Amino acid sequence: MKGMETLYSEIVVAGCGNPLYADDGFGPAVVESLQGLELPENVTVVDAGLGGPHFVFTLLNPESTKTLIIVDIADFGGEPGELRWLAVDELPVGSYRDAHSWDLTEPLQYIKDDIRIRILACQKKYVSAPEMVIGITDEVQRAIPGAVSEILKEIGMNYGTA
Amino acid sequence: MTKVVEISPTTRHEGHSKLTLKVDDQGIVERGDWLSITPVRGIEKLAIGKTMDQVPKIASRVCGICPIAHTLAGIEAMEASIGCEIPTDAKLLRVILHAANRLHSHALHNILILPDFYIPGTETKFNPFSKEQPVRSVAARIIRIREIAQTIGAVAGGEAIHPSNPRVGGMYRNVSPLAKLKMADLAKEGLVLAHEQMEFMLEVIRNMQNREFTDVAGKQIPIPKTLGYHDQGVMATSSMYGSSSLDEKPMWDIARWKETRPWDWYMGEVTIDLEDPSYPIGGTTKAGTRANPQMEACNGVPTYDGQPVEVGPRARLATFKNFTEKGTFAQHIARQLEYPDCCYTILKCLDKLDTSGKVLADHIPQGDGSIGWAANEAPRGTDVHLARVKDGRVLWYEMLVPTTWNLPTCSRGLTGAPWQIAEMVVRAYDPCVSCATHMIVVDEENKIVAQKLIQW
Repeated sequence: MKGMETLYSEIVVAGCGNPLYADDGFGPAVVESLQGLELPENVTVVDAGLGGPHFVFTLLNPESTKTLIIVDIADFGGEPGELRWLAVDELPVGSYRDAHSWDLTEPLQYIKDDIRIRILACQKKYVSAPEMVIGITDEVQRAIPGAVSEILKEIGMNYGTA
Repeated sequence: MTKVVEISPTTRHEGHSKLTLKVDDQGIVERGDWLSITPVRGIEKLAIGKTMDQVPKIASRVCGICPIAHTLAGIEAMEASIGCEIPTDAKLLRVILHAANRLHSHALHNILILPDFYIPGTETKFNPFSKEQPVRSVAARIIRIREIAQTIGAVAGGEAIHPSNPRVGGMYRNVSPLAKLKMADLAKEGLVLAHEQMEFMLEVIRNMQNREFTDVAGKQIPIPKTLGYHDQGVMATSSMYGSSSLDEKPMWDIARWKETRPWDWYMGEVTIDLEDPSYPIGGTTKAGTRANPQMEACNGVPTYDGQPVEVGPRARLATFKNFTEKGTFAQHIARQLEYPDCCYTILKCLDKLDTSGKVLADHIPQGDGSIGWAANEAPRGTDVHLARVKDGRVLWYEMLVPTTWNLPTCSRGLTGAPWQIAEMVVRAYDPCVSCATHMIVVDEENKIVAQKLIQW
């Protein structure tokens, strides 16, 4: 982990999704690739799994964290494996709803004015939920290097460190 | 005349569940059923044939709240099956991770329940997002406790959410002396905050317990002194960490466990004939709707000594600390009483931890198919994983997660509660419904008899 002074650093990359539901494992898979790279000290990469809302989004401190990059699958009508940057307001209602929250509100709405949020979405091909299937489809698998590159670019564009 | 009201879905917890309640003319629950309606998952089947290293990682993904408990219970079930003792320093790191997880979880649960409670001395319920004092300071303290816990967990466990450091045979790596020092500093800071938070929550809970009424959707609802009482007994394996079949004195007995079918426990088809559109959030189920908890339940019903039992903080304190209070408020109080012990446990483990000690067993057997189990005292109760491992591959795997134990027990605890505060009874269990969703039921000959609802 980056330092130990604060839990999350200036830039947080959170891979969201469940590897037990086929393409839903995309976010954690991208995180696994990123963890193999030398990243700047101001970047925290976290495999958020299904816990993004309650373990990450509600624990970010705007004084220390300035950018949150979420990596996840989505269905935006693209070709399977197509990548697209989304803003919070482009997300459908219910995205990242925190079921463990107190009023079914969406934690990203609470932090979006204080923290810059970018969502790197990959068009899904197959999500098996509730059935458990391990393994990302070839199309989405092929998008992983592109996603890593997009994130490095995103980090680099702002900080020139990638 | 008995009427049926239904709250679906219940809120402020993980997963989807609902309450089907038969109530009398005064709205008091005569018979309540709380059941998981999260779609059935097939983790036990998926595990078969996978390696003993893969399965705990798979298990940790069944829900977004409990990855640490499932990782530890899963790994230790494998170790119990293969007969692998791990080095002391590895065990210490696991206990630190576990205690940090409980610290975080209890703080998160405070946020979830506070909207049910009044600010002492006022007629105002908590809004955790309020910028006003005293709520603002309380929210800041809760956040800091969670940060501390997650940071300690990330250092000891490798990652804060899905811990990467634990493995079959011990841990991948020990921590550095600097990391040990940092965890100790954080735990000391956390200890002060944990005491403050415990004292604060105890005042809030006792204040609520002493009230005659609470407001729900503009109506004054009486609070029974026996809210949440049941006679189902408790089950706990340790006040802090857990137990396994490798222990000299195992604290859980596989012979006393039996899985039963939901239709032996839940009510049959009913028609909803009481409706309240003003109930938060979005009203109750419409009158005329049919419900069939026996068939809709996605959870099995595990029994211990022939009965469902309560697991969780109250069960732990009742079993190991002579705690005698019962019901909803006792569950809340017990949870707060666990706060300081999380930090004391971390500090004690750090004191013993040798950062140059080995953390991986010299020899990791591959297993001969023997059954092994491990019980982890997760924040919300006993999380039992059972496994048979042969030649490094899993032959059989089963998870008995805390909320699975609590769903039928809590159902009995609903009797006598005004239906409008039934969700308060549920929330006192700190439910996590996602991973409570399983449907493998075996008969006396251990033959699977309840597969028909499993959507594999």
